[in-house]
Amino acid sequence: MNVPEGLRYSTDHEWVQIDGEVAKIGITDYAQDALGDVVYIDLPATGVTVVSGASFGEVESTKSVSDLFAPISGEITAVNDELADQPERLNTDPYGDGWICTIAMSNPDEIDALLDADGYQTLIDG
Amino acid sequence: MQNTDSPPPETRRSPLHDTHVKLGAKMVPFGGWDMPLNYSEGTLAEHAMCRSSAVVFDVSHLGTMRVTGPGAFDALQRAFTNDLDRIEPGRAQYTHLLDPDDASVLDDIIVWWVDSDRFDVMPNASNTSRVGEALGGGASAPEIHDVTSTRAVLAVQGPQARSRLAEVAPEAAAVRRFRVAEVKIDDVPVVVAGTGYTGEDGVEIAVPVDAAEKIWNLVTSAGISPAGLGARDTLRLEAGLPLHGHELGPGITSLQAGLGWVVRFDKPEFRGRDALLAEQARGPHRLLRGLVVDGRRPPREGQTVLLGGEAIGEISSGNFSPILGQGVALAFLRPDVDDGDSVTIDVRGTEVAAVVTKPPFHT
Repeated sequence: MNVPEGLRYSTDHEWVQIDGEVAKIGITDYAQDALGDVVYIDLPATGVTVVSGASFGEVESTKSVSDLFAPISGEITAVNDELADQPERLNTDPYGDGWICTIAMSNPDEIDALLDADGYQTLIDG
Repeated sequence: MQNTDSPPPETRRSPLHDTHVKLGAKMVPFGGWDMPLNYSEGTLAEHAMCRSSAVVFDVSHLGTMRVTGPGAFDALQRAFTNDLDRIEPGRAQYTHLLDPDDASVLDDIIVWWVDSDRFDVMPNASNTSRVGEALGGGASAPEIHDVTSTRAVLAVQGPQARSRLAEVAPEAAAVRRFRVAEVKIDDVPVVVAGTGYTGEDGVEIAVPVDAAEKIWNLVTSAGISPAGLGARDTLRLEAGLPLHGHELGPGITSLQAGLGWVVRFDKPEFRGRDALLAEQARGPHRLLRGLVVDGRRPPREGQTVLLGGEAIGEISSGNFSPILGQGVALAFLRPDVDDGDSVTIDVRGTEVAAVVTKPPFHT
């Protein structure tokens, strides 16, 4: 499984890319592999406030429905609308074209609670 | 009932288990078996291959009960709803086993009438013993052997299933729809039936365990790619075919499932006949219908279907239809609902629009 360095990871199998006060998020390679072929994503709307650990959307594969849990708190500033018609991008490029949204962080200290690549690798190897 | 085989372990493995693992299959538990969910290309790619060219499924988890002897025909006629007098040796027939008291469909079954006094009865994975019980007993009881562990079953399906299979197994490829034949593939004796569960043409091949890998490899060498249970489920749903435990099972009758053609009331006797006649007289209180969603979102089992804000039924199976690019479902609805009616589905609190549509969805 691909676990890129330089990203932070939640135990709910989402990745977070920090750029100043903004966090870009998506699901990990491990998550997309476990989900199987993704056929639908219920995306959040921009302007919505999300809370770390709370559900802010759903992703559906041919075999199951899974909640998306916000890895960090804040306001959604951009959403990857391409996913509505091409949810398979979550499978084919989870760290690139399959990004889900960006969040203006309300509490950047939450970053410290996220895993680094080594920590996440250990989690999924467990 | 005689059982010639050792009792099954907790989770059973197909004779092709190691072959699947070598191919990189994701293995999942299904009906007490450990079976491939999908291979490396994934469910959607496997689904597309079956609709456009040809795939092979390992369906060894379906049971095979071999019913033989002079009492075999009568025992099957008394147990099952369909009428074997309508076919002959060398043919296959889809049939139901009903609960004698409430006419619930205990199992849906394909009978391969292999030879005059030999029937290979194929129930669902978890129902083998139930079928054995229904056939046993009585003075002229037939011999019943669970031969599930002696064979593997390969389902070759798709518009190019026969043409590709013909390159490596011409006799098997020539077995026509709902025919059954004993043929040889590379000197291995196999039983072939022109049956399947995808809405596509194809054959199912029962092969001896020790030749399973060889024949699997032969089939795949003809450009027939492996597909798993994930694609098998999206394919059968798109074709509107029932799955036991969803569209058939406890509390669900053949009439509710829209499968009245499987039941031959003109037969004097079969299990559940009186109970089903009573339901026919009063009219089923619900009917299995198809739904096509406005959009990609897959409906799921258990979700409520509403018409004008009023609950009219429940989803029994739902998923994404790769051919339509839309969500599709089978649902038990109030019998007065018509095809073309606009309904909504309560998807975890969100109302999703759908239209009542007669399956199959893919043609």
